[in-house]
Amino acid sequence: MRKTGSISRRRLLAGAAAAPVIVPGSVLGKNGAVPPSERITLGGLGIGGRGAAVLRSFLEQPDVQFLAVCDVRNERREAIKTMADEKYGNRDCAAYRDQEELFARRDIDALLIATGDRWHTLLSVLAARAGKDVYCEKPCSMTIAESRALADTFQRLGRIYQAGTQRRNGANFVWACEMARSGKLGKLRALHAEAGPGNRWPPLTRHDWLPAEPEPSPQVVDWDRWLGPCPWRPYNAEYVKGRWRGYFDFHGGGILEWGSHTVDLCQWAAGKDETAPVEYVPYGMGADTPYRIECRYADGLRLVLRDSGFLGLGSCHIRFEGDAGWVETADGGEIRVSENLRPLAPSISKEEAGRATTNHVRDFLDCVKSRRQPRSHALAAGQAHIACHAAYIAFQLGRKLEFDPATDSFVADEQANRMRSRAMREPWRL
Amino acid sequence: MAEFMRDPKYGTAAEIMALDWARLMGILEDPEASVFAKAKACQRLAVVGNHFAVDAIAPLLADPQLSHYARFALEPAPAFAADPALREAAGKLKGRLLVGVINSIAVRRDPEAIPLLGKLVNDPDPEVARAALEALARIRPPL
Repeated sequence: MRKTGSISRRRLLAGAAAAPVIVPGSVLGKNGAVPPSERITLGGLGIGGRGAAVLRSFLEQPDVQFLAVCDVRNERREAIKTMADEKYGNRDCAAYRDQEELFARRDIDALLIATGDRWHTLLSVLAARAGKDVYCEKPCSMTIAESRALADTFQRLGRIYQAGTQRRNGANFVWACEMARSGKLGKLRALHAEAGPGNRWPPLTRHDWLPAEPEPSPQVVDWDRWLGPCPWRPYNAEYVKGRWRGYFDFHGGGILEWGSHTVDLCQWAAGKDETAPVEYVPYGMGADTPYRIECRYADGLRLVLRDSGFLGLGSCHIRFEGDAGWVETADGGEIRVSENLRPLAPSISKEEAGRATTNHVRDFLDCVKSRRQPRSHALAAGQAHIACHAAYIAFQLGRKLEFDPATDSFVADEQANRMRSRAMREPWRL
Repeated sequence: MAEFMRDPKYGTAAEIMALDWARLMGILEDPEASVFAKAKACQRLAVVGNHFAVDAIAPLLADPQLSHYARFALEPAPAFAADPALREAAGKLKGRLLVGVINSIAVRRDPEAIPLLGKLVNDPDPEVARAALEALARIRPPL
C-alpha cells in the first residue's frame, strides 16, 4: 500500500462508491435519445452533392452517429466535417485522405460510399473485407465482372449492402412493382425502363482526354487517388469538379444513369433479381435520335430500355404491361394505370414519393441491426447492373447479343466477352 | 465544347479508336507517337487485338506511364497470346509495375504462372509478396 502523496486502490474504490456518478441522460436513452450502445456508427467516402443529400437523411436518424469522412479533395473533407461537427456541437468528426485509415476504425460499423462511379465496387468490396456494412450510391459497378464480384463478396462475407437505388423504397414505385408481383397485371408481357435521356447523357461515352493542367498538391486534390483503379490521364480540374460523366474511363454511360434504377425496378417487379435477360438488341444511336435496347428473358418476357415515349410523369419512368392491365409511374409520384385498374390506384403525393431516400436509409439501418437483407441488396443490385452493362455493350458494338446469365458471358461473341471487365490500375485489385 | 487532346499524327481519340488492329500496332511501335495515342491504341486493342498485337503491346508493360494500358489490352486477350507475355514481364519487373502484372495474371487465372508466383511470395517487397499470395489463392485449383 502506498504512503502519503498517493492514493491506495482500496481508498480510491471506497471514495468512488460514496461519490455520486453523473451519467448523461442521453446515455440512458432519456428524452428520446438513443443510447450510444444502440447507435450505428457511420463513416463517409467521397461525399459530394448527392452524397451530402443522402448523408442528411442519415443524420436525421436518431440511431446514427457520423464519425469520419474520407475524401481526396481537402475542400470536401472540410465541408463534411463541418456539417457533422455542427450537427453534434463538437469538433470530433475525423477527416482522412486515405481510405485505409477509415477502414481501420474498429469503432465504425458502416460506410456511406458516394464517390464517382469508378470507385464504387472496389471501395465496397474493400469495406466489406474490413468488416463494414455498406450503403453505396449507384451505379454500383463499371463492368459485368465488378457486378459479380460485388454480389459474391457480400454474400460470402455476410455483410449488409444497400445500393443507392432508393426507388425500391419509394411509395409509388413500390406500389407499381407490387401490382406486377401480385399478379394484378396478369401474366407480364413487357417491362419498360427509362434510360438516361440521350440528349443529356448519351449512351456512348467518349475516350477523349481534356488538356493537361498543373497537378495540385495531393493535400488539396490527390489526383492519383482520385483516379484510383482507372487508367492514368493528365490532371484537369474539370473532372474533379464533377464533370467526369461521359468519359469511358469514369462513367458507365447514359444507359446506367437511370437504368441502374429503372432496370432494377423492372427486375424486382418481375421476380428476376437473380438473373438477367438473355438477348439484347440495340436501336438508334442516342444523342440526336431516340434509342432503345430490346431485351428478352429466357421465359420470353421483354425488357425495353428506352429514353423516350413515356407519359411525362417525371424522371425514371417504369411501365409494366401484362395480360390484365398496365401501370406506369416516375419520380413525380403520379401513378397511371389501365382503365380496369383505376379503382385500385392510390394517390401518392410528390412529397410522399420524395421520401424514398429517407425510407431507403432507414431500411439499411434496420438491416444493419437485424442482419436481414435490405431491399437493394448486393445480389439484386449486381444482377440489375449486369443487365445494364450487357445492354451497354450491345449498344457499343451496335449488334444483337445473346447472354448466358449462368456464366455471365456472351454467347459466341469474343469482342463482347472482352468488354465484360477492365484491368485495374496498380496496385488496385478486387 | 471542351477542347480535347489530339496526337499531331494520329488525331483525336475517336480517330484512333476507329483504326484496325494493324494500324493500332503501328502506333505502339512508332517512337514519335504520344502517350495519349498509345494509350488509346491499347484501349482499342483490348477489344479488337489479336495474338499479333501482343508483340507490340508486351514491351509497354515495363513503361511506367503505359504499363497499365498494356495490361488493359492484354488482360481480356485470348489465353495463348497474353499469358506468356505477362509471365515474362513478371520475371523481369519490380515494384508497382510487377504488382500490376501479377494482378492481371490472377484475373486470367494462368496455371502456368504458379511456380513463378510461388517464388514471388517471398519477394522482399511486401506489396509484391501480398499480390503473389492473393494471385495464388485465386489460381490454384481447389483441393
